[in-house]
Amino acid sequence: MMHSDTLITRAKQGDKNAQGKLVQLWYKRIYNFSYKFFLDHDLAMEAAQKTFISMCRNVDGLQDIARFKSWLYKIAVNYCREEARKTKNSRWVAFDSVVNGEAEESPRWEGSSVRNDNPEKQFQQIELSDILQRSLMELSAEQREVVIMKEFEGLKFREIAEVLNVSENTVKSRMYYGLDGLKKILEKKNITKETISYEL
Amino acid sequence: MSYKPDESVLMAYLYGELTGDEKVLVEKYFQENPMTVKELESLQHLRKMLSTVSDKEVIAPPIVVDDAKQRFFWNAPYFKTISAIAASLLLLMIAGKIMDIQVNYAGNEISMSFGKPTVDKIIEQPLQQSLTAAQVQSMINASMQQNNQLVQSSLNESRKKLDASISKNLAMNSSKINNLVQQASRASQDEIRQFVAGLQNQNQQVVKDYFQLTTSDQQKYIESLLVDFSKYLQQQRNNDLETLQTRLTGLEQNTTVFKQETEQILASIISNGSSGNTNRNY
Repeated sequence: MMHSDTLITRAKQGDKNAQGKLVQLWYKRIYNFSYKFFLDHDLAMEAAQKTFISMCRNVDGLQDIARFKSWLYKIAVNYCREEARKTKNSRWVAFDSVVNGEAEESPRWEGSSVRNDNPEKQFQQIELSDILQRSLMELSAEQREVVIMKEFEGLKFREIAEVLNVSENTVKSRMYYGLDGLKKILEKKNITKETISYEL
Repeated sequence: MSYKPDESVLMAYLYGELTGDEKVLVEKYFQENPMTVKELESLQHLRKMLSTVSDKEVIAPPIVVDDAKQRFFWNAPYFKTISAIAASLLLLMIAGKIMDIQVNYAGNEISMSFGKPTVDKIIEQPLQQSLTAAQVQSMINASMQQNNQLVQSSLNESRKKLDASISKNLAMNSSKINNLVQQASRASQDEIRQFVAGLQNQNQQVVKDYFQLTTSDQQKYIESLLVDFSKYLQQQRNNDLETLQTRLTGLEQNTTVFKQETEQILASIISNGSSGNTNRNY
């Protein structure tokens, strides 16, 4: 990432500017991790904000600054699990999921940073991205968080093991069965190597 | 070759986190097991698909952390719990003091009261009168004696009433019996004879009437019987006569028929005899 050890050191010493910079640097990553975990903007924002409030309050207690990344993801995973428990109990439906996005100005088009010369291909890629994220939601929470951390956040197996406080082999096993499960889910939706090779 | 990489090794290989001898071993295994390579390729393709999922752009909101709010020990949850229990107990004690709640436990009995219990005073009162056992005994004796006298007097009175009633009833019944006996003795011998003679006369009359009735009925019956018998004989005679007449008529008819047949026979014989003689002459 783009932060340096000195930034973390200054944040540990109570430097508000350094803490603010860390928030700016890591917010997008933690938000996207949470978003892929919930597939819900509001819940992702809630979990990300709680994560960074907790980070600012507790960064002074961080022992090893080299483990800042796994420490931050550990906080994020805990808040995601907490929010998931609350959501499971309350059973409310997000407004975004009710509103038909295609009928309005699609935020997916607006939000896309990738500008492509071929709009059709761009649309197909966004559609595929949607299907993949929805398929990801069909995995168990344990497999989902490992797949997201490894595939989208680029954490090493050792770091994921630290975040989840499990062995590295357990992480690899969850990753294997997560990918295998995802492959089967996509096959049910007729998303295979043959059917979408033209889009990649 | 007994080596077979498990899913952990495959994942490490897929993500390029496998180094050294194990990587060589896995690659050697792949050369001999194309199915595993195919499986790994499909996973690699899945990764390629997943790479198309782009991040959502988001603007980090300002994170404001209130430093003034320091964590004192009274903000700790356990302290809040303990203080809540203590406050509840204090409140109960104050309420108990105001309402003067008394809780007593004695002789396997727990009692709760508002104010001092009055039960003790009630128990103490009989003790202050100081009646001795002899006095109580004399009171019981006096009461028993009085009761016995009352019962005795009542019993005597009841007995007297009963005796008077029995004697009265006896007197009434004996007078009635005497009257009956006197009436019976007054009946004389003549009256008895007259009664017997009356009875005999009545009996004679009844027997006489009976015989008269029976003889007249028998006469009527015999007369009707004789008439019926004579009628029967007359009828029988008539029937016999008719039968005889019918038979005689039949006999007469038979005789007539016989006579005619005989005549016819004779006539035919005669006619046959004369025709025979004529033929013989020719």
